[in-house]
Amino acid sequence: MPKLTIDGREVEVPAGTNLIEAARRLGIEVPYYCYHPGLSIAGQCRLCMVDVGNSPRPQIACNTLAADGMVVRTETPKVLETRQSVMEFHLINHPLDCPVCDQAGECWLQIYYMKHGLYEPRMVDEKVHKPKAVPLGPHVILDAERCILCSRCVRFCDEITGTGELGIFQRGDHSEIGLFPGKELANPYSANVVDICPVGALTDRDFRFAVRVWYLETAKSVCPGCSRGCNIEVHYNLRRPHHNQGHRVARLKPRENPEVNQWWICDAGRYGGKFVDDASRLLFPTRGRENAAREVGWDEMVPLVAARLRDYRPDEIGVLASPRMANEDLFVLKRLVEHLGIANVDFRVPPGRPGDEDRILIKADKNPNTRGAELIGLAPRAGGLDARGMLRAARERRLKGLWVFHHDLLASAWPGSEIREALRALDWFIFQGSNANGISPDADVLLPSATWVEREGTFTNFEGRVQRFWKAVEPPGASLSDWEILARIGDALGLGAVPGRAEDSFKSLAAGVPAFAGLSYRELGDFGKEAATA
Amino acid sequence: MSRPAAVQFTAGELALVRRLQALYPDKRAALLPVLQLVQDTFGYISLEAEEYVAGLFDLPPAHVHEVVTFYTLFFQEPKGRHVVSVCHNLTCHLEGAPTVLAHLRMRLGVDVGATTADGRVTLLAVECLCACEMAPMLQVDDRYEGNLTPAKIDRILEGLE
Ligand code: SF4
Ligand code: SF4
Ligand code: FES
Repeated sequence: MPKLTIDGREVEVPAGTNLIEAARRLGIEVPYYCYHPGLSIAGQCRLCMVDVGNSPRPQIACNTLAADGMVVRTETPKVLETRQSVMEFHLINHPLDCPVCDQAGECWLQIYYMKHGLYEPRMVDEKVHKPKAVPLGPHVILDAERCILCSRCVRFCDEITGTGELGIFQRGDHSEIGLFPGKELANPYSANVVDICPVGALTDRDFRFAVRVWYLETAKSVCPGCSRGCNIEVHYNLRRPHHNQGHRVARLKPRENPEVNQWWICDAGRYGGKFVDDASRLLFPTRGRENAAREVGWDEMVPLVAARLRDYRPDEIGVLASPRMANEDLFVLKRLVEHLGIANVDFRVPPGRPGDEDRILIKADKNPNTRGAELIGLAPRAGGLDARGMLRAARERRLKGLWVFHHDLLASAWPGSEIREALRALDWFIFQGSNANGISPDADVLLPSATWVEREGTFTNFEGRVQRFWKAVEPPGASLSDWEILARIGDALGLGAVPGRAEDSFKSLAAGVPAFAGLSYRELGDFGKEAATA
Repeated sequence: MSRPAAVQFTAGELALVRRLQALYPDKRAALLPVLQLVQDTFGYISLEAEEYVAGLFDLPPAHVHEVVTFYTLFFQEPKGRHVVSVCHNLTCHLEGAPTVLAHLRMRLGVDVGATTADGRVTLLAVECLCACEMAPMLQVDDRYEGNLTPAKIDRILEGLE
């Protein structure tokens, strides 16, 4: 392992580490635009210059590998002057339209101008003009004047998705990013180029002009869009509630996790959180259907649900859990069905359309916690019916009550007529979920759930990795976390030891299910840990 | 010199492409000579031709477009049977390039960058062609002509079919 000196301090780094990363280990920040740890080296922006040994000229840190005995200086007058000149070059033709640019506030031209620029502009000529506000595809829009030609977006499409849509056309100060004429940027990961574009050249068509970034707050989270469980950040806006049509969740962004998603997320996941602020949210516990529907408090609802579960024989009741529920929810539910002796328990419903899958991130299973439901054990218990069996039994009036979590059975692979007939034949049908769906109008009891950004919890991804998500915003109306609804009902039925927080449920899960033994919120940290799935 | 039908190399041309590609450790390096072959064969490099070449190199068409748009010597539109390129860099400018260009514009009835309606001549203004000693000068097809006067320009134009 090479040992080198940077700004007078020694550091040892693995062979193959470049000077940007070596400096980072010492907390020294070398500025850069074109370097990205997930992409090849381009050496395009020239901002990362540092002095190396006695070399008469500074060298680019991104393309210089740490070597034994190397002496690097990142703050010499020559380096500082070089940075300033490079900034001046990058900004020569820049339109300086920050007031109408959506990147403002998180733009590396702004940040680095304040840190490394601060020169008196000398540009007196007419600037070169280029196309502005050009949609490249469904999610990304280009302002070619703001582009600094770092080529990160080009390399992303070449190296990560292998789709190669983007190129740098023309030359000199007429160079511009673009698509082959007539093509679009529509690969399933397209919006990642917005994240890696250091400036306002590529912005997000969904997010731009919705809310200024300095009003946003951030919560760590996990994407619920498929069983990969990409690590994300939820960016939410509470400070300007009148912006963005009152939507609290402004955008989802990837959060780096080398073990799961590296720096990326797919577009389906990125734009998949719209249900949180959708008008279809279920807000209050509700009894009765259609015109007879009446919103009630939990104090009235909990005894009602408890009575149903108590008054019917366990074999007359079916419980259809969801692989969209968190481990914390599933474990309380599992305890409750065991407590009541209900054997008709399942969580699997085949989707109407098979999910797409690729070799990058996207998994065919569009549920975040199928593995968790398997490990915790929400499959039919001995002698119990599976999901389809429950529907058949309902049609034959052997099953009298059904409690469905989240699933829209009408979007499943099963015939809609069978499902409708089954639901109508029931004495009672409880639907618990965050949003109304195809079957929720058939329920005579609606229990409103908080979404994953409104609570904390964990999902277990397809590899058995247990990952935490944190609360960003409050649950709307009277909605509650699934585990909390279940705990209240459990309490009314004498379940005992019901959790008061999500973490309590996780603790009993770790104590009760061998696969989770030894895990705790602290142990999981920000990036998750594998459950013992052997 | 031009074969306007669909962009498709003959078996002989394809063999040449393979030979060119084999010359380099990364066959992408043969893009330039192959694009020259396209221009010689079809007269110019259409978007369709770029996609065809991309197929020959297993490249996304955007990367062929990068090369074609970088070099001004690649024509993206059909060009005239003859190309007249007038140097308007410093020496030629001082020696009268603006007059040369004005005269050509008048005689041909087209502006710089355009082709005469009969498809005879494309008129271009270019940077230094490395022949300052004969300024003002122009290049017509593969030939240099210097020490230009209006009369000499007229003679040159007469010689173009
Ligand atoms: S559009 Fe953005 S990412 Fe792409 S080259 Fe320009 S500055 Fe870089
Ligand atoms: S790959 Fe799956 S987990 Fe990752 S962002 Fe897409 S939908 Fe979400
Ligand atoms: S980061 Fe080194 S040249 Fe751009």
